[in-house]
Amino acid sequence: MKAFRAALIWGLLFPLTALAHVGSKDVFQQVTAGQYKLFVTVRMPNVIPGVANVEVRSTGAPVSSLSITPLPITGEASKHPPTPDAMKASAVDPAFFTGGVWMMSSGSWQIRLQIAGTSGEEVVSVPVPAVAIATLQMQRNLGLPLAFLGLFLVISMAGVIGAAVREARLPAGETPTPRLRHRGLVATIAGLAIMVLAVWGGAKWWNVEAASYAEGIYRPPAVSAMLSGNLLDLRVKELVAGDRWEAKSSAALILDHGKIIHLYAIRMPEMDAAYHLHPDYDAPSDFRMALPAMPPGEYFLYGDVVHANGFPETLTAKLEVPADMLGAPAGPDDAYAHPTSVDQGPLGNSYKLPDGYSMVWDKPETLTANTAYSFRFHLLAPDGSAATDMQPYLGMAGHAAFVKTDGTVFAHTHPDGSAAMPALMLANGMAGGMEMPSGPLTNVVEFPYGFPKPGAYRIFVQMKHGSTVETGVFDAAVQ
Amino acid sequence: MSTNAESLHSLNVSTTASSRSQTAVRDVATVPWYVWCGVVAVTSASIGGAWDVSWHRSIGRDSFWTPAHMAIYACGVLAAIACSYLIFATTFGSSESLKRVSVKVLGFRAPLGAFVAAWGGIAMLTSAPFDNWWHNAYGLDVKIVSPPHTLLILGIRAVGVGVLFLILAAMNRANEAGGLAENSFRSLQRLFLYMGGLIVSGQMFFLMEYTWDVSLHNSTAYVALAVAIPVVLAMISRASQHRWAATIAASVYTIFLISEILILPLFPAQPKLGPVYFQVTHLVPAKFPILIIVPALVLDLIWKRTRSWKSWQVALLSGAVFVAVLVAVQWPFASFLMTPAAANRFFGTMYFDYNSPADGVDRLRLFWNAQQGAALFRGLAIAAICGSISTWIGLGFGGWMRKVQR
Repeated sequence: MKAFRAALIWGLLFPLTALAHVGSKDVFQQVTAGQYKLFVTVRMPNVIPGVANVEVRSTGAPVSSLSITPLPITGEASKHPPTPDAMKASAVDPAFFTGGVWMMSSGSWQIRLQIAGTSGEEVVSVPVPAVAIATLQMQRNLGLPLAFLGLFLVISMAGVIGAAVREARLPAGETPTPRLRHRGLVATIAGLAIMVLAVWGGAKWWNVEAASYAEGIYRPPAVSAMLSGNLLDLRVKELVAGDRWEAKSSAALILDHGKIIHLYAIRMPEMDAAYHLHPDYDAPSDFRMALPAMPPGEYFLYGDVVHANGFPETLTAKLEVPADMLGAPAGPDDAYAHPTSVDQGPLGNSYKLPDGYSMVWDKPETLTANTAYSFRFHLLAPDGSAATDMQPYLGMAGHAAFVKTDGTVFAHTHPDGSAAMPALMLANGMAGGMEMPSGPLTNVVEFPYGFPKPGAYRIFVQMKHGSTVETGVFDAAVQ
Repeated sequence: MSTNAESLHSLNVSTTASSRSQTAVRDVATVPWYVWCGVVAVTSASIGGAWDVSWHRSIGRDSFWTPAHMAIYACGVLAAIACSYLIFATTFGSSESLKRVSVKVLGFRAPLGAFVAAWGGIAMLTSAPFDNWWHNAYGLDVKIVSPPHTLLILGIRAVGVGVLFLILAAMNRANEAGGLAENSFRSLQRLFLYMGGLIVSGQMFFLMEYTWDVSLHNSTAYVALAVAIPVVLAMISRASQHRWAATIAASVYTIFLISEILILPLFPAQPKLGPVYFQVTHLVPAKFPILIIVPALVLDLIWKRTRSWKSWQVALLSGAVFVAVLVAVQWPFASFLMTPAAANRFFGTMYFDYNSPADGVDRLRLFWNAQQGAALFRGLAIAAICGSISTWIGLGFGGWMRKVQR
């Protein structure tokens, strides 16, 4: 029975970090509409309702004006958009536009861009998941002056009440009698007590408001990862039911690149073993698969799913893989990499693949947080020439995962950008099947993305030639 | 600006009057400049508040720098500056006549109303950064009643009450002086009633969510009105000593809202937030005013005839009468507002928020939670009790205010 010895490992929840991706709330998307090509960055707010800031760089046909409208992707409200807002063109760079839109409630939203320019008018949408992810703490430089003003208001009102009782009704020029003075003092004390009571009541009210807001903050669904032999069972509580903000009808999952879930398993803290896997879905709450051979250790699991309304989520859990786990054969679409450990120094810009091919990153000289980049990677044959016979991998020219070395950031992106493909299709009215990339694939792929915070990141890039899925691995130090 | 008694209190000095009335008249104001400042400040906040609500119902989205917000905060700025000046001028200036009609708070001297209004101004200005932080922490405006908004509304109310005190002190001194001060008394009394009307409007503004026209066949609306309105009407009536005080104050509110219906839809506006269920093209005005003018008129008549009664007796009768008369006129009038006959430029029942769904009670012109029988009777009885308590507080406070001299 040794082979069936059950190893039950309960996944741990990451604290308040996930939504679509983990710790990476902004959306970086490359969209094409007619002759127009736009690089859209949507900087999502931390609180809902809040303002999402939108930046657009046009690289295709010249754009004369851009306007933006926020609206849900599905449901009745999606049919009733507000008046669009004109974006502001930069004075120094007429191809760069900025604007802001209000996201009024949590859920699966889109930002609709109306484009006008030399190639006529076009409309294109970028899906954005809107959720509150944090409560802002009050900064000392605001809190102290406010506390001082509050104290002043309390004391001065008590003084005013005292003065009102003591001398407000005295005829001009008369001085208050000792009796009035005494009554004034009593009134001051009573006024102070009333004000303190009012402040206490206000504080209680504030706490209630803060708690009610905190209830609306996004929490990733609770996930437990259980391993029985090599059989992984990811069990999710409240994924498509319960009192989450999604309506039940829109909470069901839909396929993303032909798969119901894209699961990354990364051995931590070394990051020297990474797998892109595709478990089967046993609705409504289980994902199961036989794991391939994996070096033992602790793995962070990141599972991307997309709901029927286009809302993407990343399920997170930890998994302990025992030394004696017998691996099952890898699926045809599964991919993996075994780079050197992160503590052995950063990887270079060229990654040697097991079959002699190599992947090269045109790495920018400096990388700064919150800057939108289009990261370019090349696949080279063993002789250094451009790889041929390039094939789409899961419907795309490539897949990339940007992972912070402490595991707090995870973003699975595509050459179109960081939005989930089904959401992009729903938002742009392309219902049904997968959209294959148009034209022959080359050995070059670009991923729009921006690192959410400074630190060390490891990037896993998948491209396919022939029937081989390659996974290149790169390191990035972000300032 | 030089500070002396004349510049702050325009004086009506009589050289022929007796020494007692000379002293009294010297302390009498016509309408001091700071009273005008206060009246302008509160008017600005009232217009700003109405404008802001319309903005949220028509356009939806705003920023700190909308003209409506500026009009509201102008009240705080004006009150804080004018009253601080008055406080410093009284405390550190050499004018004896100013000092004679001042009270002392935390070592400073000024008329009581100046301190109250300055407090309101500072409270309003404190609420601005607090509100901004609140938006960043918990999301943008989704409700009127939040802690920072409450501080703001308290501030506006304090400016209003402060200005009332400033007017009252001058009024009461003028009343005592008699003779030449009679004219000053009348002008101040008119301003006092106007300010009282703005305070009634402010109370009605706060009750807006409870007194929507579709809610007027439910006792909750009448309980809310009975809690918030008689206290102000009774206070204004007692303090102003005017026979038709409640009626005048209620008419200020009525005229204010009807003006809103007539004026706001003249200005184009487009919804900037979705979903847009109703295609708004112009600023959406407030709903037609609640007919509080009718019970106010009846209360004025009652208060005229019950001067010899004890306060609690007056209050008991007034609470019941307020609710009975209000229900008698508002109930059928609300039914009228649900009919197509009211969908015109005057009654304005065809104006809806941009996010008012086509199948909602407002658009369908249906009463929400209409009550009848025992539940309604019980609710109205509670309203009558609340109205009595509210009146009693108002009479007591108004009586106290009537003697304010400084």
